[in-house]
Amino acid sequence: MAKFLQLAASRAFTTSLQRLRNVFTVSDSETFMEKVLNNDVPVIVNFHAEWCDPCKLLTPKLEELVVPLPGIDLAIIDVESCPELVQAFEVKAVPAVIAVRSGLVVDKFIGLVDAQNIEDFIKKLSKQMQTNAT
Amino acid sequence: MSVLKICTKSFAASLGRQSERSVKKIYRISSSFRTFSTEGKLEYDLVVIGGGSGGLACAKEAVAQGARVAVLDYVQPSPRSTKWGLGGTCVNVGCIPKKLMHHASLLGEAIEDARSFGWRIPGNAEIDWLAMRDAVQDHIKSVNWVTRVSLRDNKIEYVNGRGRLADANTVVATLHNMKEVLLKTKNVVVAVGARPKYSTAIGAQELGISSDDIFSLEKPPGKTLVVGGGYIGLECAGFLNGFGYPSTVMLRSVPLRGFDQQMASMVVNEMEGRGVNFICKCVPESLSKTPDRRILVKWNTTPGANGGSGQGEDVFDTVLFAVGRKAVTDSLALEKAGVETHKETGKIFTTNEQTNVPNIFAVGDVLHRKPELTPVAVQAGRLLARRMFGNDKTLMDYDNVATTVFTPLEYGFVGLSEEESEKRHGPENLEVYHAFYKPTEFPIPQKDMSNCYIKVICLRREPRTVLGMHFVGPNAGEVIQGFSAAMKCRITMEQLLDTIGIHPTVAEEFTRLTITKRSGMDPNPQACCS
Repeated sequence: MAKFLQLAASRAFTTSLQRLRNVFTVSDSETFMEKVLNNDVPVIVNFHAEWCDPCKLLTPKLEELVVPLPGIDLAIIDVESCPELVQAFEVKAVPAVIAVRSGLVVDKFIGLVDAQNIEDFIKKLSKQMQTNAT
Repeated sequence: MSVLKICTKSFAASLGRQSERSVKKIYRISSSFRTFSTEGKLEYDLVVIGGGSGGLACAKEAVAQGARVAVLDYVQPSPRSTKWGLGGTCVNVGCIPKKLMHHASLLGEAIEDARSFGWRIPGNAEIDWLAMRDAVQDHIKSVNWVTRVSLRDNKIEYVNGRGRLADANTVVATLHNMKEVLLKTKNVVVAVGARPKYSTAIGAQELGISSDDIFSLEKPPGKTLVVGGGYIGLECAGFLNGFGYPSTVMLRSVPLRGFDQQMASMVVNEMEGRGVNFICKCVPESLSKTPDRRILVKWNTTPGANGGSGQGEDVFDTVLFAVGRKAVTDSLALEKAGVETHKETGKIFTTNEQTNVPNIFAVGDVLHRKPELTPVAVQAGRLLARRMFGNDKTLMDYDNVATTVFTPLEYGFVGLSEEESEKRHGPENLEVYHAFYKPTEFPIPQKDMSNCYIKVICLRREPRTVLGMHFVGPNAGEVIQGFSAAMKCRITMEQLLDTIGIHPTVAEEFTRLTITKRSGMDPNPQACCS
């Protein structure tokens, strides 16, 4: 845990770089393959739509929580731009959030959930990562 | 198979292992969605041209009956370059946005009414056009998306391309990138609907808009001229006026032509009372731009008409043409299969939705002489699919279809107008019951009740079958819907009057009718509960 905080602290000054590094949008399957499935770190994938009000609340909250974490990326997919991915993951309602680690889907939730649930979701993902690292 | 399921299964079996198979599976699924990037000569049981109310209902039912189905949908941009997504007119530029804007408009009125019921409301309610428009458009986009997802779930191939016939068994779809896909099919259903016409006035197409554009208009419409007295024109003028935009309706002849004219006049009276200006028996001659970027409209009396408002001109911010809709059959190359259409309207002649070509059918607004309503298209499409691919032989019943005009005070009806009843049965064989009524909630905010009126037409001889039920008042659609089921059961006047009303509602007025037109008695209400 201490190591985790140390890492977090040392990266604090590069927040804007982090913002570029660990939050990105995906608009085609090739990018998804490269940046999500083949990613070394776990990725939270947020299916998002511009016309969806709950999405407009959830996506910024996810960004806010993921940006300071060194070992987790956030991929935002606009459902309008990527129908293949929407169908591959059977997304029937937005917002939909899945957690991908080592090319596998390990968790998911659908709809706007409260801040505590989002934090737990992310914590669970980073805990798994840590468990495997040790 | 769902990638999600694959992944979680693998996960359970092999924690932490990089899965090449999952990666490959996702890639395979994604590349399978590029089916139309190559040659694509594909075989279907049914190709539906048009992804609107009728087309989608037909396609979904056909798939449920085991057919292999593809749906083509394409939106030709309006002269103002407006486009929209999957779902057809109803979802994008018809029923849905219309009802939402009508509702938004009534809410403004409700805010004012609320004061008389004791609500303290600071300031005056003002509409933010862009905020309202965005809310409506966001909703439409969510429906577009759900529609697309539902097509995929139903395993219906969706082609976003412009369809035309190469022959009776081949449909050609032209995609956005101009590539063509050939679809070989046993059957075709044409469900392309219609699009707004423009008047022949000079400058109409360049400066005017239509219902295709109003629901996504990028700036507040301002002072508006609506050309056309059909339900589209009246509904649009109604909600625009309710939002506070000065509105004028120009009628070539009469309002709601083909509808019961007495009820139509109630609707118009109500709109006039609310400040909508009516220019009667006139047609626009020219539209031109003014130096301050507004539109100068010059109009004259309709050729051959007597009376009316006469020649005139005025400046408007927006001119909306609602002068009728034309079936989108011109570009379908229907002649390649020999399908017969009406010379002027372009609509398709059908018997039980079948054209003169045995394997080519049509549903919805594109049909000649059938009600242009979403639920009609949906039901016709569904029943057609069942007849084509299932064992059901049920035919579509186009009679006694209830409908509602969503003007500020709504007009709902089912069955025949008084004019049509007289034509079919003769006035001496009819009894017309009628009444003005007072909705309970209207007196307190001092709302005008002079157009709250109902009318029931029935046969005079036994059994006194009800031929038509007409209602002008609030929530007319909700009021009339149940009565259309009663009409389907051939309800008689006795049964209607034997029905006990729910009190206090406006719908119960149908159960309280006592005065006939023939009696000459005053149809105005006396007291409340007696």
